Amino acid sequence: MVMQTKDLKVLTDPLFENNPIALQVLGVCSALAVTTKMETAIVMSIALTVVTAFSNMAVSLIRNKVPSSIRIITQLVIIASLVIITDQILKAFLFDISKQLSVFVGLIITNCIVMGRAEGFAMQNPPGRSFLDGIGNGLGYSVVLLSVASIRELFGSGSLFGITLLKPVTEGGWYTPNGLMVLAPGAFFIIGLGIWALRTWKPEQVEED
Amino acid sequence: MSHSNAYIVGFAGAVCIICSIFVAGSAVALKDRQEANKVLDRQKNVLAVAGKLPDNATPDAVAQAFETNIRARVVDLQSGEYVEDVDPATFDQRSMRDDPATSHAAPAGNAAKVLRLPNEGLIYQVVDGDKVEMVILPVEGKGLWSTLYGFVALDDDMNTIQGLTFYEHAETPGLGGEVDNPRWKALWVGREVFDKSGEPAIEVIKGQAGPADSDPHRVDGLSGATLTSRGVSALMQFWMGDDGWGPYIDRMQKGGA
Amino acid sequence: MRWLRDLLDKQAPMFEKGGKLEKLHPVWEAQDTILFTPGFVTKAGAHIRDALDQKRMMITVVVALGPAMLMAMYNTGYQAHKAIAAGASPVGDWHDAIYTALGMGYDPQNILACFLYGALFFLPVYAVTMAVGGIIEVVFAVIRHDPVTEGFLVTGALFPLILPPLIPLWQVALGIAFAVILGKEVFGGVGYNIFNPALTGRAFLFFAYPAQISGDKVWIAAKGLSADGVSGATALAHASEGGLGQLTSHGFDWMHAFLGLVPGSMGETSALAALLGAGILLLTRVASWQTMVGVTLGTVLMASTLNGIGSETNAFFDVPFWWHMVLGGWAFGMVFMATDPVSSAYTAKGKLLYGLGIGILVVLIRVVNPAYPEGMMLAILFMNMFAPLADHFVLQGNIRRRAKRRVA
Repeated sequence: MVMQTKDLKVLTDPLFENNPIALQVLGVCSALAVTTKMETAIVMSIALTVVTAFSNMAVSLIRNKVPSSIRIITQLVIIASLVIITDQILKAFLFDISKQLSVFVGLIITNCIVMGRAEGFAMQNPPGRSFLDGIGNGLGYSVVLLSVASIRELFGSGSLFGITLLKPVTEGGWYTPNGLMVLAPGAFFIIGLGIWALRTWKPEQVEED
Repeated sequence: MSHSNAYIVGFAGAVCIICSIFVAGSAVALKDRQEANKVLDRQKNVLAVAGKLPDNATPDAVAQAFETNIRARVVDLQSGEYVEDVDPATFDQRSMRDDPATSHAAPAGNAAKVLRLPNEGLIYQVVDGDKVEMVILPVEGKGLWSTLYGFVALDDDMNTIQGLTFYEHAETPGLGGEVDNPRWKALWVGREVFDKSGEPAIEVIKGQAGPADSDPHRVDGLSGATLTSRGVSALMQFWMGDDGWGPYIDRMQKGGA
Repeated sequence: MRWLRDLLDKQAPMFEKGGKLEKLHPVWEAQDTILFTPGFVTKAGAHIRDALDQKRMMITVVVALGPAMLMAMYNTGYQAHKAIAAGASPVGDWHDAIYTALGMGYDPQNILACFLYGALFFLPVYAVTMAVGGIIEVVFAVIRHDPVTEGFLVTGALFPLILPPLIPLWQVALGIAFAVILGKEVFGGVGYNIFNPALTGRAFLFFAYPAQISGDKVWIAAKGLSADGVSGATALAHASEGGLGQLTSHGFDWMHAFLGLVPGSMGETSALAALLGAGILLLTRVASWQTMVGVTLGTVLMASTLNGIGSETNAFFDVPFWWHMVLGGWAFGMVFMATDPVSSAYTAKGKLLYGLGIGILVVLIRVVNPAYPEGMMLAILFMNMFAPLADHFVLQGNIRRRAKRRVA
């Protein structure tokens, strides 16, 4: 089956054209917290992508059945369940990383991207496309998370995926790690600079005054 | 589109039931694995401080090494005696500390800022056959931002430090967070806890200390982390003193086992 | 001077619209206006003419920084020589290679020797700051078709003065780059910034490379400092650790701290130099007296309150305000950083409020916060953020008062 261009757009648009973090500035909280290392950022990205995709699909499946008076709480129940299941799976199979991610997996529940897509997209679109939209938005989030994490880990600890590339002075090397990168504000600066760069590249994303 | 109340209630109920089946199902199915992970994590920390962690730390290798080298014991803090009727495998020192029935208040204003002490604590012994080679004692205390939780490994003279590790803390990365730095942890090995009068004298100083054989009671400070360094000094002195593991250490030094 | 004017005029067409180097117009404009009063005149609307334009104002600030700069060089050398005389050793890198090649010795009594040695540490930092910051400034001016402004001369003069002598030069470059890009350009350039750029750069270095800008080892340009010999800790660090008792037991007295003969960031140690600068700035009305009064009042208020409360465990509670004013960067920060017209409040009453906030916060951060002894930097940056709020309250108050008058 050939993917329709419309479906493809649903998948790729959130990467740069309509990025949930860079354009909509959603879900920044976890982007600050889990991006000190690539390892945690990747796991977090996958977790969020999976949750968004499946919650989108589930919400879309029942979109014509759900009474509108309780639709938000229904979405929330679905998302919460998916997040708990994800958290359980991480604790069982990736214990070390789940320890480092601590509450932030649980906080996917409150991540605006998931809720936003469920309410904003899945309620009006068929399950297949909603699923793709979830994947797309998850990937958009992942792109930002992984670029931030790669910068933070490389300059903050001198390594990528835990493999030392720039040998820090504390271990007898030459590189002085940048402590700001390890602190949460470092992510703020990187995301801010990223948004600056993106909007210089695509000026149409600049909000009107 | 409006629905009857019955439909709304029914729909909500159905969603809840389906979701809870999934959640409960995953929780039950994965519980064993999660428990195993927690045990494994603790075993790894204990083996690491004893320097017995196998190079390829596969779960089996860790469990194997723990099984052959380590013996867990529950100790009454105030008497220093072993408590035999508690199973160490299920003993949880932290929940014991938090339960007023199984804990007592720590002396007010102690430098380690410990508020409550469990009546009984969980320690580990590194054994070779029946001979105790090393004793691993849990310690905790306030640093700058967070409570540091760690293990201290003492030689069988109950004085020489064989290792120190903090497995949980939230100190500033790069400054106080350097308590995790293997180079700094290595500085502890060979230092002595007690001075000649038997008082805990080990301390983290500002600046550099001498080598272990000429300057046995002092350890280099963490540069730029005065308060974390002070916290580590305080928690070591607290837990090695009379309110902490002192009675047990005394008993061991007098030839107990 | 005639030939210079001719030279500039000859180049002019190249840089004007349609010229070959049109894009580099800001660069030409900058060198032209720094040498001569601009040739164009106001064309439309009503304007107030004043001899004091931005350029003269910035240059006044740089002149006012003169005493602090001289003191920076002298004291950096003096501290190093004093430490070396007391048993520390010279840093032993290119600084000393040049110094000994000049045939100079390490003598704390020799004013010229101290000055020269300090200059060897200060001038490279200053040069790197001006070169890196200047290049970034020009690049942005060219991209944005803005004229290069003199604001950077001030930032560039302030920044090296608030750094320790042993700061690695690559960190200076990184810090000033951060200051110019994220402290200023990101907000739209000169006049739009929320935070004082020089302090933003310092804050960046402070959090990114704390080992090189805090602790006891970086404030004196010598090696082999230890707790037993020459400790190298700043007076502020001693006060923070053991209050007045530890200050005196380590041989610090108020007069030395006032003159600036104590270890610290190169240009911030001397309250006297800052006061001389304050005199120049106040006489020329470049800086606002309201801000300085506010900071002073706030410090007196908070320090006295803490003196009154007292503490058994923290001896810093008992340090009186006149000590706070000579410790760390208090005087320098008040005179040159807090009064930055762009990042401070605009209304006169707003400036008082804003200064008061800085004064209160600086003492609070120094005394109560366990991790950061130097409160001036953080207090000013924090209040920079609230300066618009101070103005807002003042304006609202004005509007309310006038509205009331109208009804009556």
